[in-house]
Amino acid sequence: MSTPESSTPPESFFPDADGRDMVEGFARVVAISGGKAWAEPEQAPSCGGCHSAGLCSIGKQVGDPSARQMAKRFALPGDLGLAVGERVVVGVRENTLTTGALTAYGLPLVTLLIGGIAGQEIGRADSMAALGAVGGLAVGLLGARIISGILSARGVLTPRFLRRAFEAPPDASCHTEHG
Amino acid sequence: MQHYLLLIISAALVSNVVLMRFLGLCSFMGVTTRVDTAIGMGAATTFCITVSAMIDWGVEKALLEPYELGYLRTVAFILVIAAAVQFTEAVVRKVSPAMFQMLGIYLPLITTNCAVLGVNLLLVEGKMNFIESTLFALASSLGYSLVMVLFAGLRERIALNEVPRLFAGPPIGFITASLLALAFMGFSGMSTN
Repeated sequence: MSTPESSTPPESFFPDADGRDMVEGFARVVAISGGKAWAEPEQAPSCGGCHSAGLCSIGKQVGDPSARQMAKRFALPGDLGLAVGERVVVGVRENTLTTGALTAYGLPLVTLLIGGIAGQEIGRADSMAALGAVGGLAVGLLGARIISGILSARGVLTPRFLRRAFEAPPDASCHTEHG
Repeated sequence: MQHYLLLIISAALVSNVVLMRFLGLCSFMGVTTRVDTAIGMGAATTFCITVSAMIDWGVEKALLEPYELGYLRTVAFILVIAAAVQFTEAVVRKVSPAMFQMLGIYLPLITTNCAVLGVNLLLVEGKMNFIESTLFALASSLGYSLVMVLFAGLRERIALNEVPRLFAGPPIGFITASLLALAFMGFSGMSTN
């Protein structure tokens, strides 16, 4: 059923320099300091179409000093010539998201379960099982921290700059004459 | 051990949260455009469902049951779920800021995911002990994640093919979901739980 035209990959499916596929997202440059451009990922409060076109409520959080936004900031190379307020497309390798998810959530869940079952077998009581599960969860979170530290040191988790994003003109609107 | 195995199979496959109980359909349709995002969302939801189930079990046994406050169950569980999501967000941010950049976007979506509340309410109905309820929650959420990933894979393939204009977008998505639900009906009868 597939035709040559239809087999074109979707827009958010670009290979990186190593030829591997990237998961893309939008970010906005919020500061330039220390020879680096600092960017914050954009949330998508509106529809995906408006988001990719840079319309509607996108970009209203520029410079938002909230701790949550600050925690999401990441550095981009300073030699790209990026300016504050500029929208960019960033990406991480396709398997990075899976590795991150399994490390942050999978490992603590496995240790939680092991701790819970061990507590149940040793204590034969719900309270001991709960205690074991909490202990297992703590061990798992510690393990996740160590592994993520190793991955971060290798630069695996940091998003990379892919290209500049489309910037809508000031008078553009997401509302069409069709409503 | 066989009892636990049956519980896991029953929760994950036979009574699948999405395809048999019709819970979490919003994220099922909304976050399954790519396999990677489905894995991210599935893992975050699995973690939150399991942690909130553990806490809800304690709330049920220590507060709601002894003081006959069953009428407050839904409100209490929603509060616990919101707190569990915030806890998870704080933990991921603390454990790895880099991972929080990638995975943080899925967490607020979980608070409003009815699958989380649904699984917690099912635990009360099942009158399970701590380990059983934790296993049930983990298996249910793994079933949810499995369906999310399967469906995302199917949608990625559909995106590469020509779909008649009238069926493009959500309609072909729902048709695919119904076929997937039919396939999961094959597991019926494997466990009576």
